[in-house]
Amino acid sequence: MPKPVPEPSRRPLIAVGLGGIAAAGLIGAAAWKLWRRAEPADPGKAAERGLRAGAAILSLAVLLDSGIEHYRGEFKNPAMFVAPTLALATLGMTAVEDEAAPYVFSAALAVGAAGVGFHSYNIGKRAGGFDMLNLFYAAPLGAPAALSLAGLFGLAAEHPGIAAPARIAPVAALALLGTAAEAGLLHFRGAFQNPFMFAPVTLPPLAAAVTAASSVSPEAAQVARPLLLGTALLGIAGPIFHSYGIHRNMGGWHNWSQMILQGPPLPAPPAFLGIALAALGLLPALERRG
Amino acid sequence: MFDAIDQPRAQDGRAPDVFRPGAWVQMRCYDDSEQVDFAIVGTGAGGGTLAAKLAEAGFSVVAFDAGPFWRPLEDFASDEAAQGDLYWTDERISGGADPIQLGSNNSGRGVGGSTVHYTMIALRWRPDWFKSRSKLGYGRDWPLSFEELEPYYEEAEESLKISGPVRYPWGKRRKRYPYREHPVNASGLVLARGCERIGIDWSPLPLATLSAPRGMAHPCVYRGFCKYGCSTNAKQSVLVTFVPRAIAAGAEIRDLAMVGRIEMGKDGRATGVSYNRRGKWRQQKARHVVVAGYAIETPRLLLNSACPEFPDGLANDNGLVGTHLMTHSGPGVWGVLDEEIRSYKAPPCMAGTEHWNYSDEGKDFHGGYAFMSQGPLPTDWAQTLAARGLWGAALRQEMTRYNHTAGLVLVGETEPQAHNRVELADEKDQYGLRIPRVTFSYSENDRRLIEHGRKSMHQVLAAGGAHQLWDTHDTSHLMGGCRMGDDPKDSVVDADGRTWAIPNLWVCDGSLFPNSGGVNPSLTIQALACRIGDRIAEMAKRGELDR
Ligand SMILES: Cc1cc2nc3c(=O)[nH]c(=O)nc-3n(C[C@H](O)[C@H](O)[C@H](O)COP(=O)(O)OP(=O)(O)OC[C@H]3O[C@@H](n4cnc5c(N)ncnc54)[C@H](O)[C@@H]3O)c2cc1C
Ligand code: SF4
Repeated sequence: MPKPVPEPSRRPLIAVGLGGIAAAGLIGAAAWKLWRRAEPADPGKAAERGLRAGAAILSLAVLLDSGIEHYRGEFKNPAMFVAPTLALATLGMTAVEDEAAPYVFSAALAVGAAGVGFHSYNIGKRAGGFDMLNLFYAAPLGAPAALSLAGLFGLAAEHPGIAAPARIAPVAALALLGTAAEAGLLHFRGAFQNPFMFAPVTLPPLAAAVTAASSVSPEAAQVARPLLLGTALLGIAGPIFHSYGIHRNMGGWHNWSQMILQGPPLPAPPAFLGIALAALGLLPALERRG
Repeated sequence: MFDAIDQPRAQDGRAPDVFRPGAWVQMRCYDDSEQVDFAIVGTGAGGGTLAAKLAEAGFSVVAFDAGPFWRPLEDFASDEAAQGDLYWTDERISGGADPIQLGSNNSGRGVGGSTVHYTMIALRWRPDWFKSRSKLGYGRDWPLSFEELEPYYEEAEESLKISGPVRYPWGKRRKRYPYREHPVNASGLVLARGCERIGIDWSPLPLATLSAPRGMAHPCVYRGFCKYGCSTNAKQSVLVTFVPRAIAAGAEIRDLAMVGRIEMGKDGRATGVSYNRRGKWRQQKARHVVVAGYAIETPRLLLNSACPEFPDGLANDNGLVGTHLMTHSGPGVWGVLDEEIRSYKAPPCMAGTEHWNYSDEGKDFHGGYAFMSQGPLPTDWAQTLAARGLWGAALRQEMTRYNHTAGLVLVGETEPQAHNRVELADEKDQYGLRIPRVTFSYSENDRRLIEHGRKSMHQVLAAGGAHQLWDTHDTSHLMGGCRMGDDPKDSVVDADGRTWAIPNLWVCDGSLFPNSGGVNPSLTIQALACRIGDRIAEMAKRGELDR
């Protein structure tokens, strides 16, 4: 076993870490206060609100992420306009009551799925196929699924009869796992060079497991809350850490127009926030089932 | 960047901080009369790496480099012509049947050595090459095995945070590279497609440039100026890795300090070096001297240091110093593609195949070769075309196809031959030192290998979708000249780089290689340097160093 190699240069890891967590904590605490203050007494309403909020955040994340990434891909294929456009529409539908909402949400669900198919096809036809190189750098496999999820949450919010919390909880759990897997893949691509990069691959899977369990066990639902809150916090801390990551690229924020594309994606981590909020909304109903 | 060429920067207790514009780091400085443990000549892949290892082991070290101490963030312009100062372009005479062109394609000059402008391909050797005579029936055996060097390959890779593929198709099963592979540019994908169509493996190349941040060093931005100095510090040259480590551990780096002679005592031991800095000759006393000036300057210095006790040059009792010089043959094949390629984007070589390094089937020659995609910058490209005999309108016409051209380049093994060598010419350089004369001719085997490689590259490039293929010829890396061995009679140094003839004189650079292998040499040089550093520390502990 060779001795650890001395680093030729360092950056202030602990200070940055604490700063990032403190900032996320402050924002998170303020948001949580507002969220709790308006908590509906009826669990059904709470679930609807959570799902709507989740759909809104997910569609906002998809709007920015696909907008930036497809811009980077120069919108070479006109189909690349579809995702950001639909994400925008979905976002709108979460904000207002409109008759078109179910159609838009269904379209988001379908287009997200088609996007996964599209991206898979693109990867498959590249040299190397589904090798690590393409999984790292070609069109991301999991990303379009977030649009489907936004649509699904939107639909679920509108149809509490079909989409009972106990049915949606496993879906949210699966979504958390998928998002953690994507973060894991991309953080692995970044060689976990900063230890904070381990956060999204440790906490959310745990939260996912307990969330899935809460669809059958009210006790689990109680344990799920702090874990989901932690996951939501990650969704807020992520962009803060990612903006530090951008700063660590050549030119940093002075060179923002390039480094927003090359550095870690700012809009990706809020997917955790969106899914966690949806799941948090389901908890009151799940807790009461016992 | 010009002040770096005129005025030493590393002096008066400080050296440039390569990570912060305008900043300095503290550097311990030694007096000429202070006898340091090690004087190292050259701060490249071999010397710079060893300087860090020895300083970290607690030795006092002064490392000399004839070239400047660059500040990558400030000095390196995105201008091919302006960056010519990176190379060793002093006069040298090159002859033989296949004279090697010397300069930009094989020798750097400056703190960090050739790694400041190398293309960062970081490959291990095929394990059998260390015993190529006994296992493969050609070339020479090394005095050490792959297994002995393996932990040091790992150490070198870790020190440079090599960004490599998760699965590398060839060689012994290995630990995962410290950083992940980079995205492969379009010319790399042409190679990939071609290889897949003809049914051989290809791989993204492991590179010594960061795919993620590391401390103060930024990740690669894929602008492709690597051969002209990397201005982001993504390139893990010795200048931004081992040199800062060496300084932090108490070594002194002396830039713009050309060593002209190794001083010898009457007892047959080296006593230090004479060097020229700011036009003055001075002498540094040292208990040990390590020569790490690369395959031409190392033999040259040993030969130029001849004295009454060693009239044929130092460590040259058997006449081997400077002999068995090798290069890598580097034929290139180019072709035009319908789609846009822009091969100059990203580090020049991003994908490659070592198929013919590891598979010996159907070869009409000994040895192996790898080939990679390549991506020349505009001036380089125009020169390549002009060398084809194109001029005027024809040249301009061809240059318009720049964005649609992809090329492959070979790294072909050449045999060690005694008559391929470095000698001293009678002419002298600006310091009054005799300049080297380099003689090189390919062997028949080398030529067969080149032919085979050329055909393979044609096949792959055509299968990758290129048409109108054409050829170039070049050479790349240098190796040998002070080969290591088990037997004092037919080698210059032992497995630790210690010269057989003078117990406190060492060699630690690319000149150690007994054979040349079919991959780029610097990782092996750095692994050897890491090992030599550990070996010296062990010997010192056991009291065997000052024998
Ligand atoms: C354009 C180019 C691309 C390359 N690409 C790759 C690649 O992709 N992968 C790879 O593995 N290898 C590559 N190489 C080769 C690699 O850079 C060299 O093999 C390696 O750096 C040699 O290490 P070294 O220590 O022997 O010598 P160097 O790194 O060349 O260091 C020698 C140093 O000694 C100094 N010096 C010499 N004589 C004296 C003296 N008398 N006094 C003071 N200082 C002296 C020189 O100034 C120089 O800085 C490339 C080389 C070039 C030129
Ligand atoms: S392509 Fe990467 S390694 Fe090469 S010069 Fe640019 S940043 Fe440096």
